[in-house]
Amino acid sequence: MIKLRILLAATAAGLAPLAATAQSMTPMRGEVRSFTDAFAVKVFPGNPYDQRIRVEVHVYDQDFQPVDARISPSVFLLAGQASRSVLVVVPFDGANDRKVRICTESIPFPGEQTQIRAQICGKFFGHRRF
Amino acid sequence: MKFARAAIGAALLVGCAGQMASATTGNVLFNGTITATCTLTVNSNGTMTVSSNLQSLSSHNAGGSAGSVLVDTTGGVQLSVDPVTTTTVPASDVTATTWTPTFATTGAQTIAETGTATALTVPGTSTAAINLAGTKSGTNRFSAGNYQATVTVRCE
Repeated sequence: MIKLRILLAATAAGLAPLAATAQSMTPMRGEVRSFTDAFAVKVFPGNPYDQRIRVEVHVYDQDFQPVDARISPSVFLLAGQASRSVLVVVPFDGANDRKVRICTESIPFPGEQTQIRAQICGKFFGHRRF
Repeated sequence: MKFARAAIGAALLVGCAGQMASATTGNVLFNGTITATCTLTVNSNGTMTVSSNLQSLSSHNAGGSAGSVLVDTTGGVQLSVDPVTTTTVPASDVTATTWTPTFATTGAQTIAETGTATALTVPGTSTAAINLAGTKSGTNRFSAGNYQATVTVRCE
């Protein structure tokens, strides 16, 4: 049953706008209607560098507390100038509406004294329909 | 004879003038929607140096350098830096340090140095200078060894 729900949510995610390449993450805004107890968003992290980077995708609520969402894949290596899709399934947790941030993070030059973590966050609004 | 030809020609022209043109025109509409986008490209990390009184470890100090991040955006986003939570300090440093990250931008949009989230309303490319300052108060001092801190720059 859970798989079916995820499948339905994933189908809804297919309606998300198609991504352009070389963006750090797109789309950055979205509103999703779902008939299940979860909603899905497909985002496209991109690597603007010429080198391969390690990318992490995290989901936070409005107060930047972590949300227990299914992210596939949540950590991956992304080739230079490449982009790939990431499916994020967010549970409503009993609510009718839920606002979350989906963030793509990377530290392109690790191991130095003052590292910079680049974080691109999109804001997504899920509505539950019965 | 000439008069007859002219009369016939004139009559034909008058006859044509009354005909409606059969060509029509139509409008083709094009719509486009650009959603907010933001790309952060880290050009370089920063370097902190210690002050002469050993109470400041900062990219603002002499010999230090700010990190540099290119921000490409359509506008309609917000740029911010998170409080620093990830640091590595030498074992000999057991006193508290207050870390203050800030940023300033030039280019498409100029933002004076701040630690507060700021809206990017102008589309284009800006260069953000990321600074980090660690301070110790009272009699506390930075000690010899390697320090490392991570600043999170967020575009949302």
